[in-house]
Amino acid sequence: MTGGAQTGPAPAAAAAGRRRPRRAPLPVAAVVVAVALAAWLGWAGLGRDPAAIRSPLLGRPAPEFALRTLGTDRMVRLADLRGQVVVVNFWASWCAECRLEHPALSAAWSRFRDAGVVLVGVDFQDDHPSALAYLSERGTSWPVVADPGSRTALAYGVYGIPETFFIGPDGRIAAKHVGPVTYDQLVREITRLLPGGRGQADAPAAGRR
Amino acid sequence: MDRLGRYALLLALALAVWGLLAAVAGLRRQRPLAVESARTTAYALLAAVAAANGAMLAALLSDDFTLRYVAQNSSRATPTFFKVLALWSADDGSLLLWNLVLAGYLAAVAFRFRRYRPETLGGALAVMYGVAMFYLLLVSGPSEPFATLAVAPTDGRGPTPLLQNHPLMAVHPPFLYLGFVGLTVPFAFALAGLVGDGPSDRWVALTRRWTLAVWCFLTVGLLLGALWSYAVLGWGGYWAWDPVENAALLPWLVATAFLHSVMLQERRGMLRVWNLCLAVGGFALATFGTFLTRGNVLLSVHTFATSAVGPMYLGFLLLVLAGGFGLIAERAWRLRAPGRIDAVLSREASFVGNNLLLLTLTFVVLLGTVFPLAVEAISGRQVTVGGPYFRVTTVPLLLLLLLLAGAGPLLPWRGGSAERLTRRLRLPLGASAMLVAALALRGPRNPAAVAAFGLAAFAGVANLAEIGAGMRAAVRTGRRRPMAALGTLLRSRRRHGGLLVHVGLALAAVGVTASSTLAHHADLTLSRGASATFAGYTLRYEGMRTLRQPQRTVLVTDVGVASDGHDLGRMTPSLNLYPAASEPIGTPSIRGGPLRDLYVSVVGVEQAGEQATFRFFLNPGVTWLWVGGAVMALGGLLAVWPARRRPAPPASPAAVPPARRREPAVADRG
Amino acid sequence: MAGLTAASRTARAWIRRPAAGLAALLLLALAGLAVVAARGPAPAATPAEQVHAIATGLRCPVCRDLSVADSPAPLARQMRDRIAEGVTAGKSPETIRREFVAAYGESVLLVPARRGADLVPWVAPALLLAGGLLAAVLALRRWRGRARAATTRPPSTRTSSADRMLLERALARIDEEAP
Repeated sequence: MTGGAQTGPAPAAAAAGRRRPRRAPLPVAAVVVAVALAAWLGWAGLGRDPAAIRSPLLGRPAPEFALRTLGTDRMVRLADLRGQVVVVNFWASWCAECRLEHPALSAAWSRFRDAGVVLVGVDFQDDHPSALAYLSERGTSWPVVADPGSRTALAYGVYGIPETFFIGPDGRIAAKHVGPVTYDQLVREITRLLPGGRGQADAPAAGRR
Repeated sequence: MDRLGRYALLLALALAVWGLLAAVAGLRRQRPLAVESARTTAYALLAAVAAANGAMLAALLSDDFTLRYVAQNSSRATPTFFKVLALWSADDGSLLLWNLVLAGYLAAVAFRFRRYRPETLGGALAVMYGVAMFYLLLVSGPSEPFATLAVAPTDGRGPTPLLQNHPLMAVHPPFLYLGFVGLTVPFAFALAGLVGDGPSDRWVALTRRWTLAVWCFLTVGLLLGALWSYAVLGWGGYWAWDPVENAALLPWLVATAFLHSVMLQERRGMLRVWNLCLAVGGFALATFGTFLTRGNVLLSVHTFATSAVGPMYLGFLLLVLAGGFGLIAERAWRLRAPGRIDAVLSREASFVGNNLLLLTLTFVVLLGTVFPLAVEAISGRQVTVGGPYFRVTTVPLLLLLLLLAGAGPLLPWRGGSAERLTRRLRLPLGASAMLVAALALRGPRNPAAVAAFGLAAFAGVANLAEIGAGMRAAVRTGRRRPMAALGTLLRSRRRHGGLLVHVGLALAAVGVTASSTLAHHADLTLSRGASATFAGYTLRYEGMRTLRQPQRTVLVTDVGVASDGHDLGRMTPSLNLYPAASEPIGTPSIRGGPLRDLYVSVVGVEQAGEQATFRFFLNPGVTWLWVGGAVMALGGLLAVWPARRRPAPPASPAAVPPARRREPAVADRG
Repeated sequence: MAGLTAASRTARAWIRRPAAGLAALLLLALAGLAVVAARGPAPAATPAEQVHAIATGLRCPVCRDLSVADSPAPLARQMRDRIAEGVTAGKSPETIRREFVAAYGESVLLVPARRGADLVPWVAPALLLAGGLLAAVLALRRWRGRARAATTRPPSTRTSSADRMLLERALARIDEEAP
């Protein structure tokens, strides 16, 4: 592209009327290829959500945790909950969007707690007094634990709360949801993991999906 | 107010369509009147777009919350200064500003070339109207700055906290826009030269000053962006290699290469096709930059909210690439002239080297920026390409560029005697060698840093010596010294401006090297009254106070600074709490100096101010980055300053009566 | 005696030659660089420096433009604490990095790993520079060759570049002066 490849006709000669439309095929082809490449890249770029980090934990065993609940100081261990469907929800009292999903979590909790589903809230980068005040103000009845140093959050790859993880009875993370979760989404994911849902091989498919 | 704005934009769009049609028709059918009509339409277009911007400004200042943009980006409590800034602090509004700058350039081209033949001007106008049409379509279509809300809220949300924290927001975007949009001018003239009568390369001479001015704007814009990152964002650095920063750097690199290679075309008639490619490439990269920013393609602190604008930008970008490079591929072969140079050790060869390095830099930065996109599109994996990659790959190229910036001005055109060259090399090489030897004795461990300092000394001294030599020659003629020296500087503006830019580059290189390799930092949590030592300073956390302002609450922490027992005053890093943001925005406190900056930012405050967590930085040499950048901008300004009309020098055989002279008659020496 | 003065005269003449002086200066500069390079990089002595070294290679998941070392976000601070724990526990940097990759995916690494398709961004710059250098050298040689060929021809048959410049300027003036 440095302008002096082969000995082309000098400008004077070309202007003298020899207007042979000699197109150079190689540069035109190169332009076509480059534009096609740019189009493909640009289209791919537009189709993605740059803020979403895909979790590598899907399908993998959920990271262990043993954390104490706020206030009542009970120990909640993930290992003890093997065999049950566990929903882990990361939240904080300073997070505006977490307030949006609280009613949905409450409703799902009251519907599924008797089925053996465990909902665990994990407080993220919060201070105890604010968190306790939030819990009592909202009437939160499911266990909520503190996560000192955000170890559990880091192990779960949390980057922007609220984040909700759905763990099956086999201890593997079946699904992850970033952002406020709706009641329907909770019902769908939990039902899928319960016996009779898509997650179980021996029970007949109970008409889900 | 919204109706005024909307109709003004529609009028502007209609005018742009008219301008395009008139220009094209005038060219094809050889009707000068049509081209003249297209030319004067530019003034009307500017008026219409200015009216739209004025309408938005009025709406912002009068707190007209029926407009969605005002409700989302301003509030009653926002200070007036930031209300004005809100015009360009968010996506839709900044597109209005973009259109204004573009209309301004169109009008400027229409005015500046008003006495030129329609063949010269028509094609360029057509291209510029085409570009204006796209941006006006954007603003009339998917991006609706004048959209209204069904129910007007009583108060607005206020601007994004990060964008209302500092007055630098006032100048950083406008300068960048002046640069990006300005690249349309050489692009337009280049394409017009290809499509017209027969391919011509007169466009280079016509647009030389414009490109230089655009380069100045881009330089200042990038510098202000770095300053904003340093003084406002509070993470202690000035360049994060984030995708939008990279996208702003790419057109600057291409513009710099272009400024050098056009000199080869002017003097030796070479690289015509190459320069066409650079003109198209620069404009395409500027468009690509805005595509990245607004299309929400890559995440960055700059990315505005999601909008449907992305696909339109992609389409336009593809059109520019296909049209521009397609035209070049098809027609420019006629322009190709056999190139000639006389010696390898010549200014010509150094310009080739300059272009090689700058374009390699451009491709490397572009590759790093789009690689994550490509990988995700092919395999679905998500990878990141960040700072460490860019540092490793660009530093060697930048060092080589510094070498050329020093050696290039010393090399004569057409090559010359080796004796002369070695004589000119003595002083810079001597300075550089002494510096390297001195540094080697002091004991640093980073050879790249020492090489960078040595090369910066080489480049700086070489260019200063060249400026000095020019001035000394004038003094020797016996006239009054300071005036003679200044006169020389002002006479060969282009050359001395360029030399000054290289000096500024060397200074900036010193600043960047020092702050990248010699910086210290520490994270400390202090209780009230406690002190800590850091980098030879004693820092004492004295306490926190709260300032309530209409648009935010500011928690100011006072940190006393002492060194060797001398009290050096107080630094006041702060946390700004905006109602719209869930997390506070920190403002750092900087104690700048010629040798080093002491930089303190407060990261967290606990127990009502009894305890605070700080990040302390010692950044050596950052001041030289700003000084060097300012010198670069000044050098560019000097080079672009138009000459006063002067009588032709007696030596010129083609002396034309000086009545209508446009180009400076003095050929640059050296 | 005469031989000594003769020798010293030639020595002084040789030193005065500018090229020799330049060569000496260049050698001095290169020697200085070699000394610095031979010292080797400072070993990451303190644990804080080791933490910093690892943290500069990780991307903050909250402030995505910044590394974990640079980011002021609380999450980044906690990540640095975790890295510090790992360093004190004797884990290798690779292990610590892999733990974060297991939670956040590959995109938490600030630079792509040097294997497989991810080698492209590492290899491409060198290839580009080499290719460009080759093209430039070839072009320069061709241009130089043409210049040599041109000097053997009588000068009157070619428009010199100075004349061409005057021609362009005159054309530009005609452009602007036309009605």
